Amino acid sequence: MGRSTTSKDAQALFHSLHSAYASTPTNLKIIDLYVMFAVVTAVIQVVYMAIVGSFPFNSFLSGVLSCVGTAVLAVCLRIQVNKENKEFKDLPPERAFADFVLCNLVLHLVIMNFLG
Amino acid sequence: MAGRKFPTVLLLILNLLSFLPFLTISFSPDHPTDRRILVLLDDLALKSSHSIFFTSLQSRGFDLDFKLADDPSIAVKRYGQYLYDGLILFSPSTDRFGGSLDLEGVLDFVDSGHDLILAAETSASDLIRSVAAECGVDFDEDPSAMVIDHTGYAVSQIEGDHTLIAADDFVQSDVILGSTKIEAPVLFKGTGHSLNPDNSLVLKILSASSSAYSANPASKLSNPPLLTGSAISLVSVVQARNNARIIISGSLDLFSNRLFRSGVQKAGSSYKYEKSGNEQFVTELSKWVFHERGHLKAVNLKHNMVGGTDEPSMYRINDDLEFSVEIYEWTGSSWVPYVANDVQVQFYMMSPYVLKTLSTNEKGLYHTSFKVPDVYGVFQFKVEYQRLGYTGLSLSKQIPVRPFRHNEYERFITTAFPYYGASFSMMAGFFIFSIVYLYNK
Repeated sequence: MGRSTTSKDAQALFHSLHSAYASTPTNLKIIDLYVMFAVVTAVIQVVYMAIVGSFPFNSFLSGVLSCVGTAVLAVCLRIQVNKENKEFKDLPPERAFADFVLCNLVLHLVIMNFLG
Repeated sequence: MAGRKFPTVLLLILNLLSFLPFLTISFSPDHPTDRRILVLLDDLALKSSHSIFFTSLQSRGFDLDFKLADDPSIAVKRYGQYLYDGLILFSPSTDRFGGSLDLEGVLDFVDSGHDLILAAETSASDLIRSVAAECGVDFDEDPSAMVIDHTGYAVSQIEGDHTLIAADDFVQSDVILGSTKIEAPVLFKGTGHSLNPDNSLVLKILSASSSAYSANPASKLSNPPLLTGSAISLVSVVQARNNARIIISGSLDLFSNRLFRSGVQKAGSSYKYEKSGNEQFVTELSKWVFHERGHLKAVNLKHNMVGGTDEPSMYRINDDLEFSVEIYEWTGSSWVPYVANDVQVQFYMMSPYVLKTLSTNEKGLYHTSFKVPDVYGVFQFKVEYQRLGYTGLSLSKQIPVRPFRHNEYERFITTAFPYYGASFSMMAGFFIFSIVYLYNK
């Protein structure tokens, strides 16, 4: 009784989340997918490090930090281009994307230097 | 004819002059045996009563210069150069030396690396006592005290007062006493001494037995004697840090012909030795003290990378290196390879990071190889070899160790490929994302 109620509730919650997310604009969905990709890559690397040990520690750090940095920058972009955020309504999305590209270039330059 | 002869004679004289250094050969680092020895005596009669000892020295090539201890012409030093390599003080009752020699002079003589044999007796003078005290040996304060042993005395016709003792408690050291075991006990008649515990260089060579004590044999023993048992040293040696060697004996008779030739039978033992051990004991000891034995030198300290031959000016952390040094022992006439299995090298920076025992090829070469530790700084190769009876070796050679240069680190480590992959896929992802994001409308 209790369990079926819980799973039903979870199902209902999931369903409502899904339907609410379906109304998200496509460009934000693309950013979400990109963030997911970065986070999964980071998790894979952490698991790999736990298995083989931390020997080329600088390589590990740059690998993981490139994923984390990418995810953070993508989230920042998502905040700035979201129409519902009134805070950034004066900021054109083109300007936000240009900032994103610049930050990414700096991030990857640093990562390449630190990679080993 | 005469004009042609003259240059020939000149040439001959020049030739002879060039041999002069070999004729006046003396103590030197390459030839460490002493040659010129000053013998100071109380009485010239000692020259004949101790002739066996002196003759054995002379037959081994020593140049003995006998002088009375109060001879006003005594000088050990002229123009800052020492005239002698060794000093034998057979003058126990001298209150002050003649000439320019004094206590300070004797100590300076030893401090500059020269050797000394000092024999005292009962009623030794304050001068002799203070020389001994400076060397770390304290003679019994009672001037009339002798070492008495009622169980370890030497049997003689008359019962006597048991002051002629038969001592056989030698130090276990082949380098000091020679490799041949001294079978017969050593006859000793004289005063005992104790070693100053603050002096770590002085060493008991011949100790009294546990039943011995030091007291005046003529008077009744009213107080317990100060020196008793095997704490009494009969003969002691010092090997100073500058490799000067000193023998201090509480008995001048130890060196005498009478005791050299005397038979010995220890009380309680039925076996009578035809000849006492004195001659062998004194001869071996004098070989040691005058550097005919136990003098080491270390040469050719070398180090290089494994596989290389040149000596680098610097090593990198984790380099593999080879270290070698040659050690020779002086036999009195030539240098022979020194063979031991306990020579160690330290790779030292404030404390030894590496301590390795060197292996030897039995031809004098000691070598080892090791890895430079994962620490950079200014290191030293150090060989500290201090063994009983041998001259101390103390070598060090400085060598800096540097860390990896930035371009000497490993590149493209296999383990790190997933990380490389992740970084590059992030870049590719950024590129693809940009295209998709810009053209998705």
